[in-house]
Amino acid sequence: MHLPKFDYERLTSAEEAGRLLGRYGGDARLVAGGTDLFPRMKYGLLRPRVILDMKGLSVKSPEVNGDGNLRLGAMTSLAGLARDPLVREKAPLLAEAALGVGSVQVRERATLGGNICLETRCLYYNQSHTFQFTQACFKRGGDLCYLVPGGKKCLAVFCADTVPALISLGASIGIGGPGGVRRILLEKFYTGDAVQPLAISPTELVTEVIIPARPRIGGEAFAKFSVRGGVEFAAVTAAVALRMESDGATCSAAVITVGAVSPAPRRARKAEEALQGKRLSPELFGESARIAAGEISPLPHHGFSAPYLRECLEVQIRRALEAVAKRVRS
Amino acid sequence: MKRLIELTVNGELHELAVEPQATLLDVLREQLGLTGTKEGCGTGECGSCTVLLAGRPVLSCLVLAMECQGQEVTTIEGLSVDGRLTPVQQAFQDRGAVQCGFCTPGMVLAATALLTENPRPSEAEIKKGLEGNLCRCTGYNKIIEAVKLAAESFNQK
Ligand SMILES: Cc1cc2nc3c(=O)[nH]c(=O)nc-3n(C[C@H](O)[C@H](O)[C@H](O)COP(=O)(O)OP(=O)(O)OC[C@H]3O[C@@H](n4cnc5c(N)ncnc54)[C@H](O)[C@@H]3O)c2cc1C
Ligand code: FES
Ligand code: FES
Repeated sequence: MHLPKFDYERLTSAEEAGRLLGRYGGDARLVAGGTDLFPRMKYGLLRPRVILDMKGLSVKSPEVNGDGNLRLGAMTSLAGLARDPLVREKAPLLAEAALGVGSVQVRERATLGGNICLETRCLYYNQSHTFQFTQACFKRGGDLCYLVPGGKKCLAVFCADTVPALISLGASIGIGGPGGVRRILLEKFYTGDAVQPLAISPTELVTEVIIPARPRIGGEAFAKFSVRGGVEFAAVTAAVALRMESDGATCSAAVITVGAVSPAPRRARKAEEALQGKRLSPELFGESARIAAGEISPLPHHGFSAPYLRECLEVQIRRALEAVAKRVRS
Repeated sequence: MKRLIELTVNGELHELAVEPQATLLDVLREQLGLTGTKEGCGTGECGSCTVLLAGRPVLSCLVLAMECQGQEVTTIEGLSVDGRLTPVQQAFQDRGAVQCGFCTPGMVLAATALLTENPRPSEAEIKKGLEGNLCRCTGYNKIIEAVKLAAESFNQK
């Protein structure tokens, strides 16, 4: 399989990135690790005129700044994240989620920024369209859906593994562009529109990720369900972070983020509320997971039906909560 | 438009004129004739195109040759020295971990990278380390046995 033709520019500084993005706009595509972009280009899903390679930009090592926040450069590789002692200490949930992405070889190239900017996926969209599904679907600029014939909009799902973990940790991102750098909560970066899933313009790029300091007493867990359990996008992911009272047994705040079942990652807010102020117990976990499965309607995707995913989601959240209970630090 | 890059492959420096869209895999196979590196899927799923880039395992089908400017690449052809197989290669042969052989170069390089980072892997760690390499023949058992054997001979040295 060959890549289509394009011109290549290697970015060497943030200023140059800004200048070239401004010049080429929608004709250019940033490439970080290329593990999402190049397969899509090989399938013929997009054909940028210019590729702007970000690998010449300096990779900032993870660091903790004065207010205790962990700062990660967008170009950090997922393998590097999972190996980094500081990340493992300050954000083990992120290291765990990163280790679930693809394979050793994929994680070696794949970057955190690329994972955050992953395109939404669909069984019908993510393949070459030379003999099947030749008529363009919504995601390819057409006006039909192969998943739900007669459907009115695109139902591709957002499958990046690190994102539910980052959202549960309260992460924000820095976005650089012609007007300087803006910072937004990662949760606000996803539009919920499967065709344009990211709130970013073609002249901007994600530069860094900021994760607030861990609570003094608390714990986190990540669960990913897929059929083979390796080199596979998730059917469902769930990332849970609990903050605990000083007794180490009562939950003071919870964040539950679910991935892969909708065009944007979803918070299970009612399930979070059900945990607040309660003592952790197996019954409470079961109840919270049931509430989450009630409030989030999974889209069917990649051959999984919606009722099946709803059950998966309940099981994964319950297991993640049970895992947190075992890990609560005090 | 073609551009010149410098690439060290198996210890030998090459100056190559490459198209922007040429992958490292294309250049290794078609320009350098190193056909030990295989193309299975071309889209990152099978691992048969695995090579070591600056010592780390990557999928050469998803890396542009231009991205590798100035770097060192090791392919399956670069492992043995004067015809002497490495412990991983020898173990694959001794355990019968090779059938059709299509996955073998990628498997051997992924296993080499695993043992370099973790010389005493558990069976679970071996499986995790080779999760990105598909084999349609062996059923994986012989491959896992071979990696265990290679680890023993690595550690005896
Ligand atoms: C076999 C295989 C299995 C995979 N399995 C998983 C999996 O289990 N879970 C998972 O989450 N992903 C998976 N992936 C997808 C992909 O490897 C990861 O999501 C990876 O993190 C993408 O990062 P990248 O740096 O390679 O992105 P790239 O391919 O370089 O970029 C992805 C997209 O983001 C844009 N982009 C990249 N960086 C930036 C930035 N800093 N600012 C703005 N835009 C940017 C690019 O233009 C492109 O559109 C898999 C891929 C393969 C090939
Ligand atoms: S050919 Fe590169 S992963 Fe299959
Ligand atoms: S030996 Fe044939 S694919 Fe592995």
